[in-house]
Amino acid sequence: MNLRSLIPSRATRRAALGLFGLVALWELAARGLELPAYVLPSVSSILQAIADQRVMLFAAARITLMEAVFGFFLGTLVGVALAVVLTMVPSIRKLALPTATALNSVPVVAYAPLILLWFGIGPESKIVMVSLAVGFTVFLHALAGLDRVDQRAIDLMRSFGADRAAILWRLRIPAAIPLTAAGMRVSTVRAMIVAIVTEMLGATGGLGWTIYQAVLQIDFVQVWSAIFVASAASLIFFSIVNTLEKRYVFWK
Amino acid sequence: MSTAAASIRPAALTVLRGAAAIVLMGLAWEAIVLLFSVNPYYLPRLSVILTSITTVPDAYIAGFMRTLSETLLGFTFGVVVGVFNGVMFHRSRLLKELIFPIFIISQTIPVIAFGAVVVLWFGNTILAKALIAFYLTFFPVTVNTLNGLEAVDPRQVDLLRSFGASRMKLLFQLQLPAALPQIFVALRLACTLSLLGAIAGEWFGDTVGLGVLLLQAMYNENVVALWATILVSGLLGTSFYGLVAWAEHKIVFWKAEL
Repeated sequence: MNLRSLIPSRATRRAALGLFGLVALWELAARGLELPAYVLPSVSSILQAIADQRVMLFAAARITLMEAVFGFFLGTLVGVALAVVLTMVPSIRKLALPTATALNSVPVVAYAPLILLWFGIGPESKIVMVSLAVGFTVFLHALAGLDRVDQRAIDLMRSFGADRAAILWRLRIPAAIPLTAAGMRVSTVRAMIVAIVTEMLGATGGLGWTIYQAVLQIDFVQVWSAIFVASAASLIFFSIVNTLEKRYVFWK
Repeated sequence: MSTAAASIRPAALTVLRGAAAIVLMGLAWEAIVLLFSVNPYYLPRLSVILTSITTVPDAYIAGFMRTLSETLLGFTFGVVVGVFNGVMFHRSRLLKELIFPIFIISQTIPVIAFGAVVVLWFGNTILAKALIAFYLTFFPVTVNTLNGLEAVDPRQVDLLRSFGASRMKLLFQLQLPAALPQIFVALRLACTLSLLGAIAGEWFGDTVGLGVLLLQAMYNENVVALWATILVSGLLGTSFYGLVAWAEHKIVFWKAEL
């Protein structure tokens, strides 16, 4: 079992092949057709730019990752807490659920200018935006998970004299964790994207800010290298959460 | 006829209840701002915002229509391509294993960063914004189409095949209808995402659209206009979502049995 997992599966090999093919095609197109850098720079020149500017890009990625991770945890905390409160107190639910749905019907980026005005252009506004985006997703997932328990199991526990808190702790929360974790997993990439989008509207640093500056200076190799770094950072963030989920949410 | 009337009534009731909730929320908003005398820089009164929309509705109507057309274009495009991809990936394992990972990576790329590049490629046209909306929508539709198709009972496929059904017939008579509930889940997600893409896409130097109005309001620190645009975006998002949910209810009428 252990040995077999070391050999890449056919799917992994094909994925690598597909990715390699795309990169080769890109490089060939950019070089063969002699596309100007503002249309499509070659992959090699982007990688070269990343290597040259690694200190600056790394610092920018660190800022963005910090904002994304902070916002991610804050949003998860608020989302789960809200879902638990709503499950515990059904009377609030009737009021809060339509409010949440209405707030959620506005695309989250539409709040970005408002949040920037309220919280300034520092990292705070990005953390708030990320936690807003993550919070909604986690909240909806957690709520669905808390609701997903078998009514007969609740009745059984009640017949043994369990109160609401006991049912929540022993039945609802274990049942809700897999779905909540799935919501968190989906939110990782969104957290990064929202952090970057908000940075582009106004910031003091970060990958979004780097991209915005590069667009203004019409430096498209720089735009692409920041995109590459952002994508890599998102993938790392995603795989960490994904691995943690696989390890700790084993009963799924 | 009576069954139709019976199915309309609960739907009308849901709409009515929703409208009542919205009115209540609006009243609560107004009351909270008045009672606690909230700083209008943070939250202006709802009536002030609504008045600002009705006094100069032209910009909001123009922005609404522009963003709507970008959203619809990107959405339609994304749904067609997504369903097509799903069917292709279902047909060919090789294609799926080659291309699907690239799609996954493509979704980690911040859209708006791509926006700068897309606008450069296609110029400041409606197409560029629709493309960003498309970029956000095709992936969930692909994933859910694929999941839906893979969940089709193989015995049903065998049965139809034993009657000599062609692949096309199999696809349109069995597999796609069976995948529809799953596809609609993605469509509901996609309508929010396509609107997001359209609004973010407009931030790259457009002149009309809700995204433009948002930016202008931010630069002028005009909180009332900002809230007004947020409300209009919400209206657009809710009606689009409602329409898709309604279509789901009409088309996937058998879902309740599952």
